[in-house]
Amino acid sequence: MNNMFYKEYLKTRWYLLLMWLTTMGFAGYGLLRLHRVMALHGVSHVWEVMLTRDAIFVDLLEYVPLICGLVLALVQFVPEMYHKCLKLTLHLPVSHLKVVNQMLLFGVAAILVCSVCNFLLIGLVASQVLAVELWSRMLLTALPWYLAGLAGYLLASWIILEPAWSRRIVNIVIALLVLKVYFISSQPMAYVEFLPWFAIYTCVLLSLSWISICRFKEGKE
Amino acid sequence: MSAVISCQHLTHYYGKHKIYEDLSFEVPQGRILGLLGKNGTGKTTTINILSGYLKPRSGQCRIFDQDIQTMDPALRRQIGLLIEGHVQYQFMNIEQIERFYAQFYPGQWRREAYYELMAKLKVAPHQMISRMSCGQRSQVALGLILAQNPELLVLDDFSIGLDPGYRRLFVDYLREFVKAENKTVFLTSHIIQDMERLVDDCIIMDYGSILTQQPLQQLLDTVHRFTARVPEGYDLQLSDPELYHPSVLRGKLELHSFLPLEAVQQHLQQAGVPCTDLQMESLNLEDAFIGLTGKY
Repeated sequence: MNNMFYKEYLKTRWYLLLMWLTTMGFAGYGLLRLHRVMALHGVSHVWEVMLTRDAIFVDLLEYVPLICGLVLALVQFVPEMYHKCLKLTLHLPVSHLKVVNQMLLFGVAAILVCSVCNFLLIGLVASQVLAVELWSRMLLTALPWYLAGLAGYLLASWIILEPAWSRRIVNIVIALLVLKVYFISSQPMAYVEFLPWFAIYTCVLLSLSWISICRFKEGKE
Repeated sequence: MSAVISCQHLTHYYGKHKIYEDLSFEVPQGRILGLLGKNGTGKTTTINILSGYLKPRSGQCRIFDQDIQTMDPALRRQIGLLIEGHVQYQFMNIEQIERFYAQFYPGQWRREAYYELMAKLKVAPHQMISRMSCGQRSQVALGLILAQNPELLVLDDFSIGLDPGYRRLFVDYLREFVKAENKTVFLTSHIIQDMERLVDDCIIMDYGSILTQQPLQQLLDTVHRFTARVPEGYDLQLSDPELYHPSVLRGKLELHSFLPLEAVQQHLQQAGVPCTDLQMESLNLEDAFIGLTGKY
């Protein structure tokens, strides 16, 4: 596993740093807004707007994990498709399923590490000034956005690894419909009841890239 | 000699366009087999089928007696693959790529073989592959194959993009390695002079089928160019499967054949061609290839 991770690390290291800084920057900026409102209007005002006006202060993050996930897939898999370099990867003496899963696992792990860092930052800072119900409200509202980041990454991987352009276009349309589910409601905690199903729904997307790899091996163009 | 590669009854189409039908060939252990053919005759298709990146419409390919489509992944340790254009991971440098591959081939990886070749390249160890010339990249790709030390090498158009110096370096290194270690090679190239220096056997492909498959020396000994004088303005109407691509230019008849001189003379007489002064010439591989497949 270390071998494949080494390759993926070489390919993505600078982008991973940028992705981490970007998401931490947006999360940090949301917390700065929270502190600014608190300094200007007091903690009670923050509590009030969070309860009565659905403010969560990290709403700027909404599409950031998705964009980060999409770009990570581009950075990771476009070099594989350049001059059909994927042939080299699939020629390694390891089962193809294992190779693909290891590459995806690397990307998923990178997104999860980024997400956990973001959540820790938001949770630790917000818990200093907000009750557990309020800071968990911020995190639970943001959770589907991070799942959308994972889904975006997995769907983009599926699209990029697909060898035929005509099929890629079909995949893009399907991916857009799938991703829309993550952004149907902007109400805080709108997805709380469905989060476990949402997580399973996201995990199912892991298997899509295998379809593209099978088609690549069959020589579809 | 056992066959390292055995392809039987391969048929492949791209859509409705037939590439070839019922193609069968074998590559015995320890031989270098070159696949020659004009553009579109199915060389890259064959390489793709052999590498497992294309499923033929019908037929079967076996390498080391295992079906390519269901091959044990560990068997790929014994197959070195060179992709057309010497493609390698662009985001790695010379050291990183060696470190990456070495971990997949424990017990067989020959680091020194790779670095011996790299020492001939005038590039820094940290130079990215993306910033190398095609010639330099070809040496990296060859170095990696030499280090992998596989039993079978599959090389797709190894001479593409290389200047004469790098081509010669590639051919000489490869031939020395293959002969010293009794390896088996299946390769294609557009530069037929390189093939002549390298291959033991060759397959010449025509559109849809194999035109001939035989040892190189046997091919060069048996195929000849025949020239004769014909009356000025003679309109040649000759259709004989034993006489390849007959043409007349300024009173000179030219054709190629595997037949001996007397037999060619007989065929021409039977066809009623009014020729005189029939001559037979030996050929190099490029001339034989063009003679058998035609200029157009």
